[in-house]
Amino acid sequence: MSARRTLLVAAVVAYPFVDRALGLQTVHAVSDGMIYVLLALGLNIVVGYAGLLDLGYAAFFAIGAYAMGLLNSPVVGSPLYGHPWSFWLCIWVAAAVSALLGLVIGAPTLRVRGDYLAIITLGFGEIIPVAIRNLGDITIEIGGWRPIERLNLTGGENGVNPVGRPYLPGVPFETDPVPWYFLILVIGALSLWAMSRLRDSRLGRAWMAIREDETAADCTGVNPISTKLLAFALGAWFSGFAGSVYAAKLQAITPGAFEFQVSIMLLCMVVLGGAGSLGGVILGGMLITLFDRVVLTQTTSFVRAVGRATGFPALAAVDLTLWRWFFFGLGLVVVMLVRPQGLAGRRVGPVAVPDDDDEVALADAAPAPRVEAIPAWLRERARPDGAPTPAALLEVRGLSKAFGGVVALSEVGLVIPPGAIVGLIGPNGAGKTTFFNVVTGLLRPDTGRIAFAGASLVGLRPNAIVARGIARTFQSIRLFPQLTALDNVLVGQHCRLTAGVAGNVFRPPAVVAEERRARERARDLLAFVGLGTKEAEAARNLAYGDQRRLEIARALATEPRLLLLDEPSAGMNPRETETLTELIGLLRRELGLAVLLIEHHMEVVMGISDRITVLDHGVRIAEGPPREIQRDPTVIEAYLGSGYEQDVAVTDR
Amino acid sequence: MTWWEVLVQQTINGLTRGAVFALIALGYTMVYGIIELINFAHGDVFMLGLFISLAWFTLLGVTRTLTAWQLVTVLPLVFVLTMLSTAVLNVAIDRAAYRPLRRSPRLAPLITAIGVSFMLENVALLWKGPAPIAYPDVFPSVDILRDWFGVDSAIFVTTKDVLVVAATVPLMLALQWFVTRTTWGKAMRATAQDRETAAAMGINVERTIVLTFFLGGALAGAAGLIQGMYYNIGQWWMGYQAGLRAFTAAVLGGIGNMPGAALGGLFIGFLSAWSDQYISARWTNALVFSILILVLVFRPHGLLGERTADKV
Repeated sequence: MSARRTLLVAAVVAYPFVDRALGLQTVHAVSDGMIYVLLALGLNIVVGYAGLLDLGYAAFFAIGAYAMGLLNSPVVGSPLYGHPWSFWLCIWVAAAVSALLGLVIGAPTLRVRGDYLAIITLGFGEIIPVAIRNLGDITIEIGGWRPIERLNLTGGENGVNPVGRPYLPGVPFETDPVPWYFLILVIGALSLWAMSRLRDSRLGRAWMAIREDETAADCTGVNPISTKLLAFALGAWFSGFAGSVYAAKLQAITPGAFEFQVSIMLLCMVVLGGAGSLGGVILGGMLITLFDRVVLTQTTSFVRAVGRATGFPALAAVDLTLWRWFFFGLGLVVVMLVRPQGLAGRRVGPVAVPDDDDEVALADAAPAPRVEAIPAWLRERARPDGAPTPAALLEVRGLSKAFGGVVALSEVGLVIPPGAIVGLIGPNGAGKTTFFNVVTGLLRPDTGRIAFAGASLVGLRPNAIVARGIARTFQSIRLFPQLTALDNVLVGQHCRLTAGVAGNVFRPPAVVAEERRARERARDLLAFVGLGTKEAEAARNLAYGDQRRLEIARALATEPRLLLLDEPSAGMNPRETETLTELIGLLRRELGLAVLLIEHHMEVVMGISDRITVLDHGVRIAEGPPREIQRDPTVIEAYLGSGYEQDVAVTDR
Repeated sequence: MTWWEVLVQQTINGLTRGAVFALIALGYTMVYGIIELINFAHGDVFMLGLFISLAWFTLLGVTRTLTAWQLVTVLPLVFVLTMLSTAVLNVAIDRAAYRPLRRSPRLAPLITAIGVSFMLENVALLWKGPAPIAYPDVFPSVDILRDWFGVDSAIFVTTKDVLVVAATVPLMLALQWFVTRTTWGKAMRATAQDRETAAAMGINVERTIVLTFFLGGALAGAAGLIQGMYYNIGQWWMGYQAGLRAFTAAVLGGIGNMPGAALGGLFIGFLSAWSDQYISARWTNALVFSILILVLVFRPHGLLGERTADKV
C-alpha cells in the first residue's frame, strides 16, 4: 500500500471523529453523498465502460429501495409484508432484484443502439415511478366483479414508512450517524473493489471493446448481447445496494425520490468526473453532492447577508437552491463543450502525425517478420491434433445475397483447403467485402451453404464464428481506438478465456493463470508483428502501418485456423507491403494457417496465393492458380485491363 | 352521457391534444432528420412558447377575451411574435450547445440537450414560480352545437376546438409545401439524406441546419400559444411531459418522416384521451412510454416504415 493511499484511508476513517470533535455535523450529508456516489459508480459501468447511455438509472435505485422498504417494513399493507426481514438479508435481495430488472431493461438493447437505447431507458425510468405510485391502490373491476379491491402493494404516493434499520449488537444505528457512515463506507469500498477488478478483467475489456466499436468487437469474438446485458445487470446490482441502504437510512421512501431528475444528477456525476474513471466518478459525485448540499445553501445565506447589509431587498430574498437544476443543466453543457472527457478523464492525446522523414519512418515502421518470433503457443495450436484433415477447411456453395434489387453475390462458390492462401480479386463493387461479411456472419446469406471444417456457419453470430476459428481484418481499419495496443490484442483472446463475473472479481488461481497466459500471448503477438515496444500506446495514436499490423495481431489472438484479410496492404508503402507479404507467407508456412485475401496489389496476390477467385458484379468469373488467372481473357476484360498481360510479361523476367 | 357520446367526446379531446403533439413532434423529427439529434430541449421550447405568448399578450395589453376585431389583428400578431421568439431561441440553443459538437460522438450533443432542457425549465420556474400559471381566456369559447346549431347534445365542442384544428392544419400544410416545393426545402431534404454530399453540391449545410431549428422552434412556439389558449394553464415542467409524448409521436411515425410525425401526434392524442377515459389517467404515461419502447424495439423505423424520400 502506497503512502498516499494509507493517508487517504486514515483520513476517511478519521473523518467522522474529527467532525464530531469540531462539531461540524456533516457526517449525515456526507453519508448521503456516498450513497449517490455508489449509484454513480454503478451507472459508470453502463455509461462509462459499456458506452450505453442510460437515462433511467433511478429506476434501479427505486427498485433497490423498494425491495428493502417492502421486505423490511413492519407496516402491514398487503399480505406480502408485515414480517420484516433482516436488513443484512434484504440488501442482497435488493441487489439481486435490481440486477434481474437490469436484465429485463437491458433486453431491448439486443436490438437497439445509441440514442434510441437512451430513450428506452428513459421510458423505463418513467414507467417505474408511475407503477410504484399506482400500485399503492389497485382495484380491478370487470363488469361489476372486483377480483382485487384497494390492494396496496407499494404504499402508493405516501411511500413506505417506516423502514427497518440494520441490527448489529451494540451499534446505535438509531441515534448516531457515524455507524451509518461506516456501513456505507464498507459497502462502497467493497463495491469499488469489485468494480475495479471487473474493469481490469476479460469482462471489462469486452465492455470497452463494445463501447469503442460494437461490430469490430463482435468480429473479434466478443458477444455483444451478453456483454451488454451483464453491464446492465451489474450496474443495477450496485444501485440495488445503494437503494436499500438509502431506504434503511432515510427510514422512509416515497416515489418522488426516484424521478428523472435523479437519473440526470447521477449522469452529471459520471460525466463531470469522467466516464470510465472510478476516481473521476467519485470526485464528480462528491463535488455535486457538496455543491448541492453545502455550496448552494451557504452561498444563499451569504448573498442574503450581503443583501441585508447593503439594503438590496432583491438580494436579501435570493434562494439559490431554486437554481440547482439550472446549474446541473449548465454543468452538463459546459463539461460536454469544454472538457468532454470529464475532470479526471484521461486526456486523449492528438493523433500522431505520420513522420515526414521517410527514411526514418521506413526503417522504424516495418521490421521484417522473423520465423523465430512466431509465438511457440501459436505453433502448438497449429499442429494437427490427429484428427483427419478435411479436404476443404472452408467450403462455400451457391452463396447469394441481394440488397433490395442489387445483387451483391450470385451463386458464388469458393473452397479453401487447409493451409492454403486464396486470393479474392475483382473490380470495386464486385462483392468481395460482402462475401467476407456473409462468411463472418455480419450478413445473412439469402441462399447458399457455408461450411467450416464440415460444420455449417449459416445463422451463427459473428462472435460464434470467431470462436469456431475464423478471424478477419477490415478494409478500413477497425481497432478499438482508445484502448492500448495490448488491450486490443487481449480482446482477441476474449473467446479463448473462460472467467465469469465471479471469477473476474474474486480471481481464483485458475483465473489468474488464465489472465497471465493471455497477457503473455498478447505480448508475443505484438512482438511478432513488430509492435513489441508500443504495447501501452493507444491504438488511435499508432501510425497507419502499425494499425494494420495491430489488427492482424488482434485477429491472430483469436487463435484462428482461417484468416480473412480485407485489403491488408491498402495505403501501405512498398516496403511495408513487402513486409506484410512476408508475414502472410510466414503464417501459412510455419503455422499452416489458411488465408483468404482481398487485395488490389497484384504483385502481392499473384505472389503468394495458391489459387485465386475473381468476382465481377457478384458473379464468380474465374477460379484457378495465379498463372491461369493472369492469362484468362474474361478476367483481363473485367478487371486486370488489356495492358496487364504485357506488365506481367515484364515483371516475370 | 351514452357510451358513444363519451367516445365521440374523448375522440374530439384526442384530436385537439394530438394536433398540439403533432406540431411539437414535427420539430423533433426535422432536427433528427437533419443532424440525428434527439433535441431533448424541444419540449421546453414549447413550454416557453406558452410563457412567451402570454408575455406578448400582456405586452399588447390583452388580459381578457379578444373581440372580433382583435381576433383578426392581435391574435395573428401574437402568433407571429411568439413563433419568431421561440424560433430564435431554438436557433440560439443550437448555436450555443449543439453546433460545437457536430463532429463529436453522437451521445455528446444528446447530453448537452438534456442540460439545456434543465436550464430552460429552471428559467421558467424562476420566471413564473412553481405554481401553475393562469393563462387568460383570450380566445372566445362558444358551445358550437348548442349555441350555433341549437342541438341539445351531451357532446361539447367549442370554438376553441375549431381554433386548434384551424391553426395547426394550415401550419402543417405550409411546412409540407415549404419542404417539398421550395429551394430551401430541397436543401433541407438533401442535407438530411447526406450532409457531406449536400455540402459538396454547394448547399450551405450550417445555414440549412439553422433553418431547420428555426422552423422547428416556430412550430413549438405556435403549439405553446395554442396550448395556452386552449387549456388556460401552464406549468414550468409541462415541456418535459409534452416533449416525451411528442417524441413518442415522432418515433411512431418514423423519426425523420414529417407526415409520419403529424399522424403519430394524432395517434398519441387519441390514445392518451382514450386511456384517460377507459383505463385511468394515472396509467396514461406508463401506457405511452410502453408504446414508445415497443415501437423502438420492434419497429424502430416507425409504423409507417422507412420513407427516406420524405425524411427531413
